[in-house]
Amino acid sequence: MKYYIRNIYKSYGSLRVLDNISIDFKKNKTTCILGPSGCGKTTLLNIIAGIIEKDAGEVLGFENEDISFVFQEDRLIEWKNVRDNMAFVLKKKMNKKEIEVTIDRFLSLVNLKEYKYYYPRNLSGGMRQRISILRAFAYPSNILIMDEPFKSLDISNKKIVLDFFKELRSLEKRTCILVTHDMDEALDLGDTIVILSDKPTRVKRVIENPYMESGVEEDKIKLRKEIEAELMG
Amino acid sequence: MKNSILKDKEFSLLSKLILIGLWAFLSHVIDREVILPSIKSTIMSLIDIIKDPYFLNVIFHSLLRGLLGFLFSLVLAIGLGILSFFSKFIYSLMVPVLNFLSSIPTMAIIILALIWLNHELVPMFVGFIMVFPILYESVLKGILNVDKKIMEMAKLYKVDRVNIVKDIYIPSIFINLSSVLTSAININLKMVIAGEVLSQPKFGIGSNLQMEKMYLNTSGVFAWIIIILVISKILGYVGIVLRKIIKEEKWK
Repeated sequence: MKYYIRNIYKSYGSLRVLDNISIDFKKNKTTCILGPSGCGKTTLLNIIAGIIEKDAGEVLGFENEDISFVFQEDRLIEWKNVRDNMAFVLKKKMNKKEIEVTIDRFLSLVNLKEYKYYYPRNLSGGMRQRISILRAFAYPSNILIMDEPFKSLDISNKKIVLDFFKELRSLEKRTCILVTHDMDEALDLGDTIVILSDKPTRVKRVIENPYMESGVEEDKIKLRKEIEAELMG
Repeated sequence: MKNSILKDKEFSLLSKLILIGLWAFLSHVIDREVILPSIKSTIMSLIDIIKDPYFLNVIFHSLLRGLLGFLFSLVLAIGLGILSFFSKFIYSLMVPVLNFLSSIPTMAIIILALIWLNHELVPMFVGFIMVFPILYESVLKGILNVDKKIMEMAKLYKVDRVNIVKDIYIPSIFINLSSVLTSAININLKMVIAGEVLSQPKFGIGSNLQMEKMYLNTSGVFAWIIIILVISKILGYVGIVLRKIIKEEKWK
């Protein structure tokens, strides 16, 4: 299955937000959409997810797919423990036994089984976001959409949650679309980096990230300079 | 913190002692049992009432009326609260009903209830009239307070409506209801007793209060007031326990 968007346009009144956006999303790879704050990245995600209507263009491959989501906030239900928060999104997809097996499998996968019956109020911000990411991976889908999921975390928690996401991604293949304004996140996580301009938002450049394959720090530094130059220009 | 709680308790005890002292002093000065009975005669009446073979029956019937009326109000408030949230028509229909209930004098409703209903139903109806608007508004507030972002998450994960109502709306309603539960239970009890005073069912605290009044046995009235205060206090604790159950990890 191919996932892509073609010639997406979106305006709010006279303000044009998205201007002819086309992106290909590679299967089981992470595409980072990098752009300045307020440029319309979340609007683009919402169009892909089908939450808001586009003015023109095509969204292909996503129509009949189940999609997992990770948001800026963890969006856990306060009166449900970790197990029940995960079960809440799985109920329509599985029977009771399968839900239990899935939850146990994912919690064990990342050594979080001891937190199964913890309530969100007893978890730190970083741990809450890890559960939110785990919930997204436990949900049976091919696509994972993430809207600045590390934005509200402090530096130490951010590193932990980033590593957590990388670990899960290596264990469970998904086509990930990650929106961020943080260049380091894009360099760390994106197989492909799509750089957006400020409003009216266009695709400035699409860069393949060699660092993801090679793991060589120099590749990352070189690419960072390229992206910086692109963003400055 | 601990010290301040201790101080509050000390002041509360002091205030109660002052009130009892004032009562003893005034009843001594007035020296007329019909107007203000002495503590001693009130205690005697209290013992007589408790010794009466029908005492528990009377308490049971009043509490049962209170419970049934309260449960009916609660179920209706939850049902109509949810319907009002989903249907603008029902919401609009409820607005004048609530305005009517909150502005009409309670006595007028009791009189109408006496005309329309039998003696057993009047106390429950009166309790319902007072408690339903409080519970209904609390239910509606509980639904409106549901985090929009949680709802969006549920929608994106395609969680079905039944589970959204069961796992998000209902718990949110009960968490919100828990804050008015104790006061609603007590208002309900007071109104049920007021209803009993006027409708005179066979067994009921209100019927007994009225009886004591008819015989000008003021110490009996005071004794019943003490019994009501004790029941009220116990119901207050029940409310606290229910609130704890609702607020803590009981929503699975």
